[in-house]
Amino acid sequence: MKKKFKRDFSELRNIVAMTEQFFADHENDIEPGYRNVVDLAVEELFVNMVTYNTETNEDILIEMSPHEHGVEVSLTDYDVERFDPREIGPVDVDAPLDERTPGGLGLYLVLKMVDSIHYEYRNRQSKITFIADRK
Amino acid sequence: MFEIRKEDQGTVVVSGRLDAANAETALAFLDGVEGQCVIDMGGLEYISSAGLGVLLRTHKRVSTGGSGLKLVNVNPHIRDIFSYSGFDKLFEIEEAS
Repeated sequence: MKKKFKRDFSELRNIVAMTEQFFADHENDIEPGYRNVVDLAVEELFVNMVTYNTETNEDILIEMSPHEHGVEVSLTDYDVERFDPREIGPVDVDAPLDERTPGGLGLYLVLKMVDSIHYEYRNRQSKITFIADRK
Repeated sequence: MFEIRKEDQGTVVVSGRLDAANAETALAFLDGVEGQCVIDMGGLEYISSAGLGVLLRTHKRVSTGGSGLKLVNVNPHIRDIFSYSGFDKLFEIEEAS
Protein backbone atom coordinates (compact mmCIF):
# COMPACT_ATOMS: atom_id res chain seq x y z
CA MET A 1 0.00 0.00 0.00
CA LYS A 2 1.35 3.46 -0.83
CA LYS A 3 0.00 6.99 -0.57
CA LYS A 4 1.27 10.55 -0.76
CA PHE A 5 0.51 13.15 1.89
CA LYS A 6 0.73 16.91 1.96
CA ARG A 7 3.24 18.53 4.28
CA ASP A 8 0.76 19.41 6.99
CA PHE A 9 0.07 18.01 10.46
CA SER A 10 -3.61 17.82 9.54
CA GLU A 11 -2.64 14.89 7.29
CA LEU A 12 -1.98 12.78 10.39
CA ARG A 13 -5.61 11.70 10.49
CA ASN A 14 -5.34 10.47 6.90
CA ILE A 15 -2.10 8.65 7.71
CA VAL A 16 -3.81 6.95 10.66
CA ALA A 17 -6.63 5.93 8.30
CA MET A 18 -4.08 4.43 5.90
CA THR A 19 -2.45 2.45 8.70
CA GLU A 20 -5.83 1.27 9.95
CA GLN A 21 -6.75 0.06 6.45
CA PHE A 22 -3.39 -1.68 6.04
CA PHE A 23 -3.78 -3.61 9.29
CA ALA A 24 -7.37 -4.50 8.40
CA ASP A 25 -6.24 -5.81 5.00
CA HIS A 26 -3.59 -7.97 6.72
CA GLU A 27 -5.43 -9.00 9.87
CA ASN A 28 -4.57 -12.66 9.29
CA ASP A 29 -0.83 -12.27 8.78
CA ILE A 30 0.25 -9.25 10.85
CA GLU A 31 0.15 -9.05 14.64
CA PRO A 32 -2.20 -6.18 15.61
CA GLY A 33 0.20 -5.25 18.42
CA TYR A 34 2.52 -3.66 15.85
CA ARG A 35 -0.07 -0.98 15.17
CA ASN A 36 1.06 1.21 18.09
CA VAL A 37 4.70 1.06 17.00
CA VAL A 38 3.83 1.87 13.38
CA ASP A 39 1.53 4.75 14.36
CA LEU A 40 4.19 6.33 16.53
CA ALA A 41 7.14 5.82 14.20
CA VAL A 42 5.26 7.08 11.14
CA GLU A 43 4.02 10.17 12.96
CA GLU A 44 7.42 11.06 14.38
CA LEU A 45 9.21 10.64 11.04
CA PHE A 46 6.48 12.48 9.09
CA VAL A 47 6.40 15.37 11.58
CA ASN A 48 10.19 15.59 11.46
CA MET A 49 10.14 15.85 7.66
CA VAL A 50 7.40 18.49 7.69
CA THR A 51 9.10 20.51 10.43
CA TYR A 52 12.67 20.52 9.16
CA ASN A 53 12.43 20.11 5.39
CA THR A 54 10.82 23.46 4.74
CA GLU A 55 12.41 24.27 1.37
CA THR A 56 10.04 22.07 -0.63
CA ASN A 57 6.31 21.68 -1.23
CA GLU A 58 6.59 18.09 -2.51
CA ASP A 59 4.25 15.56 -0.93
CA ILE A 60 5.69 12.82 1.30
CA LEU A 61 5.29 9.22 0.13
CA ILE A 62 4.45 6.52 2.67
CA GLU A 63 4.64 2.82 1.76
CA MET A 64 3.62 -0.15 3.92
CA SER A 65 4.12 -3.84 3.26
CA PRO A 66 4.07 -7.06 5.31
CA HIS A 67 7.40 -8.29 6.67
CA GLU A 68 7.20 -11.86 8.00
CA HIS A 69 4.82 -11.40 10.98
CA GLY A 70 5.32 -7.65 11.11
CA VAL A 71 5.48 -4.56 8.93
CA GLU A 72 7.97 -2.68 6.76
CA VAL A 73 7.28 1.02 6.34
CA SER A 74 9.07 3.62 4.20
CA LEU A 75 8.73 7.39 4.13
CA THR A 76 10.24 9.22 1.16
CA ASP A 77 10.80 12.96 1.09
CA TYR A 78 11.73 14.79 -2.15
CA ASP A 79 14.04 17.70 -2.95
CA VAL A 80 15.55 17.79 0.53
CA GLU A 81 18.91 17.88 2.28
CA ARG A 82 20.38 14.70 3.74
CA PHE A 83 19.21 13.84 7.25
CA ASP A 84 19.86 10.40 8.69
CA PRO A 85 17.67 9.91 11.79
CA ARG A 86 20.09 7.28 13.09
CA GLU A 87 22.67 10.01 13.67
CA ILE A 88 20.76 12.02 16.26
CA GLY A 89 22.57 12.80 19.50
CA PRO A 90 21.86 11.07 22.79
CA VAL A 91 18.80 11.96 24.87
CA ASP A 92 19.18 11.92 28.65
CA VAL A 93 15.88 10.39 29.75
CA ASP A 94 17.20 10.15 33.32
CA ALA A 95 17.65 13.90 33.72
CA PRO A 96 15.65 15.56 36.50
CA LEU A 97 12.59 17.66 35.71
CA ASP A 98 14.34 21.04 35.78
CA GLU A 99 16.83 19.82 33.16
CA ARG A 100 14.22 18.35 30.80
CA THR A 101 12.95 20.46 27.92
CA PRO A 102 10.08 19.67 25.53
CA GLY A 103 11.24 18.28 22.17
CA GLY A 104 13.90 15.89 21.00
CA LEU A 105 12.12 12.72 22.04
CA GLY A 106 10.42 11.82 18.75
CA LEU A 107 13.28 10.21 16.84
CA TYR A 108 14.67 8.78 20.07
CA LEU A 109 11.39 6.91 20.58
CA VAL A 110 11.41 5.69 16.96
CA LEU A 111 14.90 4.25 17.34
CA LYS A 112 13.91 2.69 20.66
CA MET A 113 10.72 1.03 19.42
CA VAL A 114 11.37 -0.24 15.89
CA ASP A 115 13.44 -3.35 15.22
CA SER A 116 15.58 -1.90 12.46
CA ILE A 117 15.86 1.32 10.51
CA HIS A 118 17.55 2.03 7.20
CA TYR A 119 18.37 5.30 5.45
CA GLU A 120 18.97 6.07 1.76
CA TYR A 121 19.79 9.47 0.23
CA ARG A 122 20.02 9.78 -3.53
CA ASN A 123 19.26 12.60 -6.01
CA ARG A 124 17.96 14.77 -3.15
CA GLN A 125 15.48 12.04 -2.18
CA SER A 126 15.53 10.99 1.44
CA LYS A 127 14.06 7.55 2.19
CA ILE A 128 13.70 6.15 5.71
CA THR A 129 12.63 2.52 6.06
CA PHE A 130 11.85 0.81 9.35
CA ILE A 131 10.74 -2.67 10.28
CA ALA A 132 8.50 -3.59 13.20
CA ASP A 133 8.73 -7.35 13.57
CA ARG A 134 9.84 -8.85 16.85
CA LYS A 135 9.26 -12.47 15.79
CA MET B 1 -10.18 12.49 17.37
CA PHE B 2 -9.03 14.09 20.62
CA GLU B 3 -11.05 15.48 23.50
CA ILE B 4 -10.03 17.24 26.69
CA ARG B 5 -12.36 18.47 29.41
CA LYS B 6 -12.43 19.26 33.12
CA GLU B 7 -14.82 17.44 35.44
CA ASP B 8 -16.59 19.09 38.39
CA GLN B 9 -14.09 17.80 40.94
CA GLY B 10 -11.19 19.25 38.92
CA THR B 11 -9.91 16.13 37.21
CA VAL B 12 -8.90 16.72 33.59
CA VAL B 13 -10.10 13.93 31.30
CA VAL B 14 -8.39 13.26 27.98
CA SER B 15 -9.43 10.80 25.30
CA GLY B 16 -8.56 9.82 21.74
CA ARG B 17 -5.21 10.57 20.13
CA LEU B 18 -2.82 13.17 21.53
CA ASP B 19 -0.61 13.67 18.48
CA ALA B 20 1.09 16.59 16.75
CA ALA B 21 -2.19 17.70 15.19
CA ASN B 22 -3.87 17.99 18.61
CA ALA B 23 -0.99 19.15 20.78
CA GLU B 24 -1.83 22.86 20.49
CA THR B 25 -5.42 22.22 21.59
CA ALA B 26 -4.23 20.26 24.60
CA LEU B 27 -1.63 22.85 25.56
CA ALA B 28 -4.10 25.73 25.29
CA PHE B 29 -6.46 23.87 27.63
CA LEU B 30 -3.78 22.87 30.12
CA ASP B 31 -2.39 26.41 30.21
CA GLY B 32 -5.52 27.17 32.25
CA VAL B 33 -4.60 24.60 34.91
CA GLU B 34 -3.07 25.85 38.15
CA GLY B 35 -1.49 23.82 40.95
CA GLN B 36 -1.90 20.08 41.54
CA CYS B 37 -3.89 18.46 38.75
CA VAL B 38 -5.01 14.90 38.06
CA ILE B 39 -5.26 13.87 34.40
CA ASP B 40 -7.43 10.82 33.74
CA MET B 41 -5.97 9.03 30.70
CA GLY B 42 -8.40 6.11 30.68
CA GLY B 43 -9.73 7.11 27.28
CA LEU B 44 -6.40 8.09 25.76
CA GLU B 45 -5.54 5.63 22.99
CA TYR B 46 -2.29 7.11 21.75
CA ILE B 47 0.36 9.69 22.57
CA SER B 48 3.35 10.85 20.52
CA SER B 49 6.32 13.03 21.43
CA ALA B 50 4.18 16.10 20.71
CA GLY B 51 1.79 15.00 23.45
CA LEU B 52 4.68 14.24 25.78
CA GLY B 53 5.93 17.77 25.21
CA VAL B 54 2.55 19.18 26.28
CA LEU B 55 2.60 17.13 29.50
CA LEU B 56 6.20 18.08 30.27
CA ARG B 57 5.62 21.79 29.64
CA THR B 58 2.53 21.80 31.89
CA HIS B 59 4.20 19.70 34.58
CA LYS B 60 7.19 22.04 34.72
CA ARG B 61 4.94 25.09 34.94
CA VAL B 62 2.73 23.84 37.76
CA SER B 63 5.62 22.16 39.59
CA THR B 64 7.23 25.52 40.29
CA GLY B 65 4.54 25.95 42.96
CA GLY B 66 5.42 22.60 44.53
CA SER B 67 2.52 20.78 42.85
CA GLY B 68 2.53 18.87 39.61
CA LEU B 69 0.53 16.59 37.33
CA LYS B 70 -0.67 13.16 38.38
CA LEU B 71 -1.48 10.83 35.50
CA VAL B 72 -4.06 8.13 36.24
CA ASN B 73 -5.72 5.25 34.35
CA VAL B 74 -2.72 4.97 32.05
CA ASN B 75 -2.96 2.04 29.62
CA PRO B 76 0.01 -0.34 29.16
CA HIS B 77 1.05 1.01 25.75
CA ILE B 78 1.17 4.60 26.96
CA ARG B 79 2.89 3.43 30.14
CA ASP B 80 5.61 1.97 27.91
CA ILE B 81 6.03 5.31 26.12
CA PHE B 82 6.37 7.04 29.50
CA SER B 83 8.96 4.48 30.53
CA TYR B 84 11.03 4.82 27.32
CA SER B 85 11.01 8.61 27.65
CA GLY B 86 11.84 8.67 31.36
CA PHE B 87 8.51 10.24 32.25
CA ASP B 88 7.88 7.50 34.81
CA LYS B 89 10.60 9.17 36.89
CA LEU B 90 9.16 12.68 36.50
CA PHE B 91 5.42 12.13 37.01
CA GLU B 92 3.28 10.36 39.56
CA ILE B 93 1.61 7.67 37.43
CA GLU B 94 -1.18 5.23 38.20
CA GLU B 95 -1.80 2.46 35.70
CA ALA B 96 -5.28 1.44 34.58
CA SER B 97 -6.65 -1.41 36.70
